[in-house]
Amino acid sequence: MEFKTAGNRVEIEPQRDGSTFVHKGMTLHMGDELWLEISGRKHKATATKVGDVWWVHILGHTLQFEMVEPGATGADNDSGLTAPMPGKILDVLVSEGQSVSSGDALMIMEAMKMEHKIVSGQDGVIESIFFNTGDQVEQGTVLLSIK
Amino acid sequence: MLKRTLVANRGEIACRILRACKEAGIEGIAIHAANDAGTLFTELADLAIQLEGEDLRETYLNQKQIIDIAIANDCDSIHPGFGFLSERADFAQAVMDAGLIWVGPSPEAITKMGDKMTARITMKAAGVPVIPGVEVDGGLEEVLAVAPSVGYPLLLKATAGGGGKGMRAVHDEADLESEAKAAMREALNAFGDDRVYVERLLTGSRHIEIQILADKFGRTIHLGERECSVQRRHQKVFEESPSVALDAELREAMGEAACAAAAAVDYEGAGTVEFLVTPKGEFFFLEMNTRIQVEHPVTEMVTGVDLVREQLRIAGGKPMSCGSLSMRGHAIEVRLYAEDPSNNFLPAIGQLKRFVAPTGPGVRLDTGVREGDAVTPNYDPMLAKLIVWAPSREEALQRMGRALDEFVVLGCTTNLRFLRELCDHPDVVDGWTTTDMIERLWPDGWNPNIEPLIDDAGLLIAAACQSSNHGRTISTGSGFSQTPSPFFTINRRLP
Repeated sequence: MEFKTAGNRVEIEPQRDGSTFVHKGMTLHMGDELWLEISGRKHKATATKVGDVWWVHILGHTLQFEMVEPGATGADNDSGLTAPMPGKILDVLVSEGQSVSSGDALMIMEAMKMEHKIVSGQDGVIESIFFNTGDQVEQGTVLLSIK
Repeated sequence: MLKRTLVANRGEIACRILRACKEAGIEGIAIHAANDAGTLFTELADLAIQLEGEDLRETYLNQKQIIDIAIANDCDSIHPGFGFLSERADFAQAVMDAGLIWVGPSPEAITKMGDKMTARITMKAAGVPVIPGVEVDGGLEEVLAVAPSVGYPLLLKATAGGGGKGMRAVHDEADLESEAKAAMREALNAFGDDRVYVERLLTGSRHIEIQILADKFGRTIHLGERECSVQRRHQKVFEESPSVALDAELREAMGEAACAAAAAVDYEGAGTVEFLVTPKGEFFFLEMNTRIQVEHPVTEMVTGVDLVREQLRIAGGKPMSCGSLSMRGHAIEVRLYAEDPSNNFLPAIGQLKRFVAPTGPGVRLDTGVREGDAVTPNYDPMLAKLIVWAPSREEALQRMGRALDEFVVLGCTTNLRFLRELCDHPDVVDGWTTTDMIERLWPDGWNPNIEPLIDDAGLLIAAACQSSNHGRTISTGSGFSQTPSPFFTINRRLP
């Protein structure tokens, strides 16, 4: 079984015995409630699935594990920059064909009454800009692409 | 005595006020936008009325509609909460002109304190120390012109501002013009006023504020301090009382200055005077918030005063009920935000599929959300305030850590883990909290400190849940819960 968490792909095949699962010396007892046993101490866990993502609360941590469908390729192509929130484009700071460096501010958008900078995660050339100042964008919309 | 109060707000603070109304025997009327229908605060109200219109301007900021609803429903008063219209002098005036009681200070007091430049001038005249800086009457050229005389690092602040909006720190002259433009643009969007002013950025300072109460009988008191130094993007995340930085002498001096500030504008009701305290123990007036504040529970826990009840009492023409006060124990509040602290605290949205709040001794949760609610980009991303009280600061931090460990929020990214790590951070434990501490401790941004064991445990849980289809079917455990058994009925009657 494969998951994506914090940008990494991880594989796991826990040993299963009925409603008990074992992995790296930890035992998880599955029922209406989830109890994790580590070195003789028990800890309550909470988990729920949203879309393809399992949200897990354990020992004061909240973690997310996205199911990876069997056969999916390992390469992530993240050269497109997406809107992190629904909001409005306030300013476009670059133009198509312009060279940018990782960390450069590309756009300014307003969401939840605050300004956010859209920052390049790579060095490259601006290929296309899909929105203009004043445009409303939905969460996850690709704003511009970098080659 | 108030009889029927309209709460011109939403979410957590509307819940807080409506509960206080109920306790005081006052009928509480909620108003809500269509997208807030059925949320917690509308249920706590004796009557909930839907506002017409779509965006904020047409709903929670629509003065005329709100006053019309108050009159049509026989309200005698309006409580504005914080944010929205709470510091709009024109609204306070319109409420009073409509023959209603405004739960807050006079429009004159709001005006004098709301415009930061006027406030500075008023405070200077009242002998309250202010931060070295220059009051400019707006305009980019003027900001650029006065900046050298203030010196770097400096802080640009929206004259009409608050809540960190329109505020920019400038460490280098090269960044001045772009930061000034950004501050002015943000100020214009947030407040409809793009004026900014320039003051010295006091690095390594603490943000310490004094809560005051003033009634119509000439009594003005202070209720000690709240230290709110831990801030991200100039918004507070961690507040406590008392502050480790104040001794009895400094507390009294700041308390007196706060009362003098309130007296200078003939203040009435609950208010907060904010100060910056330098490492040397000098204090400077920052601003006065002429409303109830987000972090007011911290003061309530250590003084035993119900600040919202006092607001209602004072507005109803009664003297405040508190006698001489003493501070007892230690209280801490953290603000749970729907945001991603590992991505520059960017606001997050989602559905609160699980929302299990901590309980136990000394734990208080002020929230406006419940499990199942959606977190949308329409409103402020603050989900809840978690407040703890304990006999000492050390025990309060331990209690907060325990409570945060118990807090389960799934389905929407929050700053829970960030808050949890703060409680254990040596600088917080030692009380070395300053307004620049988040940038100082995590100059390249914060990332959670996750032990491999936790990652492995999480992975095991996710895999096991996926294999077992956990949560997909509502398990009833056994046939008993579907077919009522006589034994269960008998059980219920037993003590």
